Amino acid sequence: MEVQALREELDSKCLQLLSDLEELEAKRAALNARVEEGWLSLAKARYAMGAKSVGPLQYASRMEPQVCVRASEAQDGPQTFRVIKANAQIPEEVGPSEASLRRRKGPTKTKESGSSVVPQDPLNWFGILVPHSLRQAQASFRDGLQLAADIASLQTRINWGLSQLRGLQRKLKELDPGPA
Amino acid sequence: MAGRGKPVTDEDTLTGFLLGSIGELNKNRHPNFLVVEKDTTINEIEDTFRMFLNRDDIGIILIYIAETVRLALDAHGRSIPAVLEIPSNKHPHDAAKDSILRRAKGQFAAEDLR
Repeated sequence: MEVQALREELDSKCLQLLSDLEELEAKRAALNARVEEGWLSLAKARYAMGAKSVGPLQYASRMEPQVCVRASEAQDGPQTFRVIKANAQIPEEVGPSEASLRRRKGPTKTKESGSSVVPQDPLNWFGILVPHSLRQAQASFRDGLQLAADIASLQTRINWGLSQLRGLQRKLKELDPGPA
Repeated sequence: MAGRGKPVTDEDTLTGFLLGSIGELNKNRHPNFLVVEKDTTINEIEDTFRMFLNRDDIGIILIYIAETVRLALDAHGRSIPAVLEIPSNKHPHDAAKDSILRRAKGQFAAEDLR
């Protein structure tokens, strides 16, 4: 029966949504742990270098990001986010096996002649020889960035799953009014 | 679309994520982050958040003071840019107020599962 197949699909969507929510909570906890590690490392670095040595006053007057976010959308499904290096070669990222579309806006930027300049490590904002705790803080927050991209993908998938679930429920109500 | 992470957060978390090399401050001095201090007004935070929502080079927004922009956050229905609520030592993450979890909770009403 059509109603039976629809109910089975509804059940599988429900289970998928619940497992995604569980995974979201796990990744949230991991992100929280990474950020807390980063705070502790920053506190140690501040203790070693002086209270005024690590903070917004030391930010560079010009910043170039070394990582950026790429959003890709499957042909039938939610978008996913990945954190990649900002200067990575775009054609190398897309293999023939990857059946995904990348959203483009406007023409591709022509590479400037100065693009070969190596971006400055943000650690150098705070001094040449920085303590190990500052490097640890950087590593913790970089791990947090990867987790943030995973969480963004999960949130998008959950929203997509919720809309699918709502559509199926509406269709089921039309086919089978139920005891009411 | 290639985007960037956008931290709108307190000082230590902002410093940490900028150490992760996501900060951008171009020649026009337009940053992709906002340093929130004691004297930062809610209007300033809301305006910055809406500006980040409308920029087309943004893929993910990291925010911890989600309560101040709760209305704009709930009204934001597109999948890009994704808005992530991250922890802060002054504002721990509250699952009861999370947009994603509240929508998911509303989905499982008793009538719909009958």
